[in-house]
Amino acid sequence: MYLRDVFLEDTFAEAFPMRVARIVITAVNARWAREAALKLTGFATSVIACKCEAAIERVLDSSETPDGRPGTSVLLFAMDTESLGKRLIERVGQTVLTCPTTSCFDGLPAAERRVTPGRALRVFGDGFQASKVVAGERYWRIPVMEGEYLMQESFGVATGVGGGNFLILATDAESALASAEAAVAAIEGMPGVILPFPGGIARSGSKVGSRRYKGLAASTNDAYCPTLRPLTTSALPPEVNSVLELVLDGLDEDAIRRAMRAGIDAACRPGVRAISAGNYGGKLGPHHFYLREIMGAAREAGTPA
Amino acid sequence: MSDAVTLTLRAPLAEPIEAECVRADRFAALDEREIAALPVWLGRRQARLGDFFEVRGARTARVRIAGDVRRVDGLGAGMTGGELVIDGDAGSRVAAGLTGGHVEVVGSAGDDAGMGMTGGTLYVRGRAGDRVGAAAPGASKGMTGGEIVVRGSAGRDAGARMRRGLLFVGGDAGDSVARATIAGTVIVLGRTGRNPAFASKRGTLVAVGGVDIPVTYRFACTYEPPHVRLALTYLRGRYDVGIDRTFITGRYRRFCGDAGEPGTGEILEWLTE
Repeated sequence: MYLRDVFLEDTFAEAFPMRVARIVITAVNARWAREAALKLTGFATSVIACKCEAAIERVLDSSETPDGRPGTSVLLFAMDTESLGKRLIERVGQTVLTCPTTSCFDGLPAAERRVTPGRALRVFGDGFQASKVVAGERYWRIPVMEGEYLMQESFGVATGVGGGNFLILATDAESALASAEAAVAAIEGMPGVILPFPGGIARSGSKVGSRRYKGLAASTNDAYCPTLRPLTTSALPPEVNSVLELVLDGLDEDAIRRAMRAGIDAACRPGVRAISAGNYGGKLGPHHFYLREIMGAAREAGTPA
Repeated sequence: MSDAVTLTLRAPLAEPIEAECVRADRFAALDEREIAALPVWLGRRQARLGDFFEVRGARTARVRIAGDVRRVDGLGAGMTGGELVIDGDAGSRVAAGLTGGHVEVVGSAGDDAGMGMTGGTLYVRGRAGDRVGAAAPGASKGMTGGEIVVRGSAGRDAGARMRRGLLFVGGDAGDSVARATIAGTVIVLGRTGRNPAFASKRGTLVAVGGVDIPVTYRFACTYEPPHVRLALTYLRGRYDVGIDRTFITGRYRRFCGDAGEPGTGEILEWLTE
């Protein structure tokens, strides 16, 4: 199957269930909401070493936030609810609480499973903290040197999907980067999905474990490294000299499917030879995103493909 | 099952009646005949609801009351769920002890509205009498949860001994508003009467339309309290109440008190821009 002269490999991305929270940060203006969100989502590319995966989901208009101020929505993923709660305490406490003018709200109010980072962080108020209940939700007021920090007590936890992905196989590094940037631009701002790697792009796709070093959780995906073509069982067509990967985490399968469709469509540019995806033979993750099926659905839906 | 149970007053009342039986949650399980047979009281004399009201509809937790029921006390008292709409004025103790559901008074409410309520919402489109959201006689706590929204003014002792919850007064509030509060939030858009938040232990009185700060409250700072912004934004979106944007975005002077108590209560006075 070809999309504008780009070969779509007959394969699938394999993804896993993860726990996810949506954090809504508001501030006096969009700049400060973004500053807090950038810090909150720093060093959160992969659960392998960062214990969580997080990124900005989208910018929120003041009409979309609980306190009517400009905001930023962040999705944060972890492997289980307990870990997610800990990450929220650590990260919100160090990045949102500390950031001028911010307040912090739950973005998944309908979720039944809850964690309570606000309850844990309230003690920073050293006994001077106070709570307020508005619309049935408890908020903590923590006095700070600037004035007061407001944070919702509990945050909803949903079961999301982590590890959606696709690979861009290009003739050269410039084409690969341009293609990946176009894909990121197409996906950014779509609700319910994030790209946790730098600028949304990963250059160092990994395989599980290591061929040489015991105990290593992940190591380079040698089958897709152009420099190793003659040294390993390469998966690269002869004219491919650079590969980049987009990793997607979403609130559900549909969110990832929509984002992959938009991203792959945007990625099919001159210099790109093929689109592939990473999987483990379907043995590890229950969520399988078949590239041809996704892009076939795009055709049927009338979107360009 | 009907869409709603409608109670229509048959004739103007010559004397007050107690009608605590009018509860939306209770009507959900009753037919017309059973609703009409519910007991009401005229002083010490017992009568039937059907003696005063024509009952239409059955087995639904949506109830509408038509007619001048300002002499009917206790409407919606102790309700745990459902919706009760009173088309005109209501008597005293409307929604007293409410634990859930929504009670709406299209006109004004008498004294003791929402007294001691623990949950649910009471929305009064007109005025409220004395002791709205306050404690029942002899009780140590006023409302301990839920929301009361009064678009107009409120009488004395609004929110007295309040423990939790949100009380909003769109007009003026009488003397001793938020007296002896244990916690909770009272917001007054109009003028606040004498002795505001007197002897309060904790809790917040937001005074937008002018307040005489008691000498027992100490000035802390001028700032933009984020919880006031959140509460006013919520109220403006949830209820049909006119809240000027400058109240939401404006600065407030914070006073801590009351001095004779733990002193962790506060009065937030809106700073005219």
